[in-house]
Amino acid sequence: MTHTIVWTILILAGLGLLLSLALFWIARKFKVEEDPRIDEIEKVMPGANCGGCGFAGCRAFADAAVKAPNLDNNYCPVGGNDVMKKVAAILGYEVKEKAPMVAVVRCNGTCEARPRTSVYDGDSSCRIKASLYSGDTACPFGCLGCGDCAAACQFGALTMDPATGLPVVDQEKCTACGACVKACPKGVMELRAKGPRNMRVYVSCINKDKGAVARKACLSACIGCGKCQKVCAQDAITVENNLAYIDFSKCKLCKKCVAECPTGAIHAVNFPVLPPKKTADAPAAEKKEDNNA
Amino acid sequence: MRKITFGIGGVHPDDAKISRGCAIEILPLPETVYVSMAQHLGAPANPVVAVGDSVKVGQVIAEPAGFISAFVHSPVSGTVKSIAPRKDMMGNNVMHVEIAVEGDEWAEGIDLSSTLVKEIPSDRAAILDRIKACGIVGLGGATFPTHVKLNPGPDAHPECLIVNGAECEPYLTSDFRIMVERPAEIVVGAAIMKKVLGDCRCVIGIEENKPEAISSISKAVAELGYEGIEVVKLKKKYPQGGEKQLIDAVMKRQVASGGLPISVGAVVQNVATALAVYEAVQKNKPLISNVLTVTGDCLPADRQHNYLYRIGIPLSYIAQYAGGVPKDAAKLVSGGPMMGRSIVNLDATTVKGSSSILYLSQKATKRHAPESCIRCGRCADACPMGLEPFHLYRLAKAGDMEQLEANSVQDCISCGCCQYSCPGFLPLLDNINIAKGKVLGIIKARK
Amino acid sequence: MDKYLVSQNPHVHANVSSCSLMGDVVVALLPAIVVSVLFYGWAELLVLAVAALGCILIEWAITRFLMKKPGPYCGSAALVTGLLLAMNLPPTTPWWVVLVGSLVAIGVAKMSFGGLGQNIFNPAITGRVFLLISFPTYMTDWTITPGFIHTDAVSGATLLGVFNEGGVAALPENLDFGRMLFLNMGGSAGELSAIALLLGFVYLCVRKVIKPWITLSIFATIALVSGIFWMVDSTTFTGPLFNLLTGGVILGACFMATDYVTSPMSAWGGVIFGFGIGFIVMMIRYFGSYPEGMSFAILIMNIFVPLIDRAFHQKKFGRA
Repeated sequence: MTHTIVWTILILAGLGLLLSLALFWIARKFKVEEDPRIDEIEKVMPGANCGGCGFAGCRAFADAAVKAPNLDNNYCPVGGNDVMKKVAAILGYEVKEKAPMVAVVRCNGTCEARPRTSVYDGDSSCRIKASLYSGDTACPFGCLGCGDCAAACQFGALTMDPATGLPVVDQEKCTACGACVKACPKGVMELRAKGPRNMRVYVSCINKDKGAVARKACLSACIGCGKCQKVCAQDAITVENNLAYIDFSKCKLCKKCVAECPTGAIHAVNFPVLPPKKTADAPAAEKKEDNNA
Repeated sequence: MRKITFGIGGVHPDDAKISRGCAIEILPLPETVYVSMAQHLGAPANPVVAVGDSVKVGQVIAEPAGFISAFVHSPVSGTVKSIAPRKDMMGNNVMHVEIAVEGDEWAEGIDLSSTLVKEIPSDRAAILDRIKACGIVGLGGATFPTHVKLNPGPDAHPECLIVNGAECEPYLTSDFRIMVERPAEIVVGAAIMKKVLGDCRCVIGIEENKPEAISSISKAVAELGYEGIEVVKLKKKYPQGGEKQLIDAVMKRQVASGGLPISVGAVVQNVATALAVYEAVQKNKPLISNVLTVTGDCLPADRQHNYLYRIGIPLSYIAQYAGGVPKDAAKLVSGGPMMGRSIVNLDATTVKGSSSILYLSQKATKRHAPESCIRCGRCADACPMGLEPFHLYRLAKAGDMEQLEANSVQDCISCGCCQYSCPGFLPLLDNINIAKGKVLGIIKARK
Repeated sequence: MDKYLVSQNPHVHANVSSCSLMGDVVVALLPAIVVSVLFYGWAELLVLAVAALGCILIEWAITRFLMKKPGPYCGSAALVTGLLLAMNLPPTTPWWVVLVGSLVAIGVAKMSFGGLGQNIFNPAITGRVFLLISFPTYMTDWTITPGFIHTDAVSGATLLGVFNEGGVAALPENLDFGRMLFLNMGGSAGELSAIALLLGFVYLCVRKVIKPWITLSIFATIALVSGIFWMVDSTTFTGPLFNLLTGGVILGACFMATDYVTSPMSAWGGVIFGFGIGFIVMMIRYFGSYPEGMSFAILIMNIFVPLIDRAFHQKKFGRA
């Protein structure tokens, strides 16, 4: 009995020693020489492997960053400027600071504003729905409401609001990786500058139909009336194809356009709540709360 | 007569040809028609009329905008009111020519008599030109321009023209009615196409559930006495009318993955196309009308119809004329229940390839909530392409494009057999179709 | 315009659901159940009822409260599992043992893998094997309980048990195989009447619920393997007819090996699967310590199903 135990221990120990030597030798013999900076960069990366930078994952990004002559084309949206500064320090490069971004939903066609014209009976996927037809509302541009964006978000920053049928962005969790932008077959999601103290103004609609058609399909559609364009002192608003767009690099957040918009398609979020002055401002204030939720 | 069929898969849905006894009626014209510029596979046609122009029936109103494209002719006489985008059946904007109907004056040179013209012109190129000029497209569903298909190029060797009278989709009876009512014209049309293809063999395939059509077409073939045309009886099995399946059934040859029918020497044309070819070549009549079935499981038998319609007529007008949409209709389908498309917008207008307005009840069409795959293998048994839909479904959900291609998702013909037979009610085809689109895009980009 | 449904084709369905397929299996099991109840009486009825109700209730509870799946629940799959489990047990099994078997079958073998369609092992067999190992005395007690029809049966030991103990010499001479086809003396409900089980199998094939390849392959393999051994030495090994008609071969081959979830999907895969089962059964019967090996054979081959599915595919259209 004791013999068996002793022998077992001896044999196992011997085997272990032998195999570890073999492994050691193999590791030495077949070692792949890699730039040690890749490991260093990978350590400072967020490690989400989300692909938001355009590379397959954090290590692929690190590999590309080491090989690149500068960091102009390599930017980690998840880590933002802090991470990029560390990466630049490791590589000895300059880094251009970028304004932090956040995903916004450019559709505010809620269930009330945008009545359903048909009942979609297929698999719950925006991509399938979009391949089939223009959507179950009269608006062929807006959100389809099946939540492909929310499914694509790795950070849990997107949820579908059953009351509105639209996705809601949690700006604290959103890393601007762009997965939702790629996932949305309608191009409803957009990455925009987060703005000072998270305040931003944007057109929450991408309907390019003529005003009357758009209005008929959705009460809160941009009808391309151009009032916002006229009132904007910064020249930040362009109206093309019956649709207004606010250039966030020019916008000074004066909110004049928000008050001017007849359909409430322009959203201003995260502005401090002011006591309501007139009834005309009320819809905008409500919208803001929607987005904060 | 021997029954033939294709080798792999297939399902046997209830054929529900409720409207088989309804003779073709001529649908009266509405006050306004909207003629779509995208009535065919390929590039939408370019309008050649202007607002305010007066047009006659059969006059060209749009020209092809590319090699795979087709002429569009005015289905009515009247005045062009507008040329503007309008929502099609799926709710997408497509350019339409709006014409206010005034009288019914036909363009010159169109033979409106019903006398049968048996003699086939001898000039092959002239026939093809006429088919092209008359805007003929395949009426079996794909609306592929017929002149392109009948001209497979100098290297091709067409051996067999298969005229498709299978009409394997449940409910539809438009092909059946024209086979019963206008067999001689169909046979002449087939003979014309056979001639264009260099006098190859010609087989007219009809499913066994249409004995009247088999006898009427056989009689016409015997009476007209063209050489090399035969009628074959096909087994009742869906998708018997699928191009690759029909070739397999008739010629016992399988079109290779990614290949065209001509690669095995086959050209398939629908019976309705044969009729359109006859009218174009022998009567100089462009393709402005076709037969459409108004049917459905929730439509009483006495309200079922087969209409000879002109293109550009709003579907809502046809529905009204036929007595309105039945109350318990839950889904409106254009085409058959297996491969047709849901009608999203009833204000859309008829096109060359419209074959039905199908009213399906909640009970017949509402999808059950998906359950889980129980690995029964029914989808794989049903797939006429020998694919494994349960596996493709899983891969599609995971987005594994490499494996999808390795498992031949691109061979899928979207016939719907898998989803039809899935006891777990899984949306197999919904997902496979998307994956197929992506994989085909990848394959195309690689070339 | 009213709101109509919109979806991708197809717009109709064959209206065959998992639920109705399993219902067909229940119907196919009925003849054998009727025979067993007639023969074994109230005791058999109790075992069947406890297993069926137990399986359905356990699955329902797990689905509703642990997996929190709302919506209608269809118990026909659990009913099949319960009935099959019961048909594998002696009629004398105490009700609480049956309940433990149901819990293992549904709770462990099926639901812990994710429920319907996800399990690797056949739930009913897993439950049965668990009981066989845990409660061997209950599981091999072949006392014949009083039935509703009069029989002259007295012996409780199964023929396979007799062979396992004493070899061919111990078996009664001049076995009446014709009679065994109709009514086997001794054994569980699923071993009783071959003809009633085969009737159910034919029903399933006619209704196209299952394909016959797996079953036929098992029968053919058992006949072949035992035939070869028997011809070599008929004093040591039992013959093909004996092996086909005794034990759980017919129940296993017709109803358990053909379970969709735990069998290969392709026809040729099924043939290989069946061959494996038949071969293992014969090895256990001839050389194993257990008298019967159908359950073990099916469980062992269940492991190979993913591999078999990888190797065998349908012939694709238009591809060499």
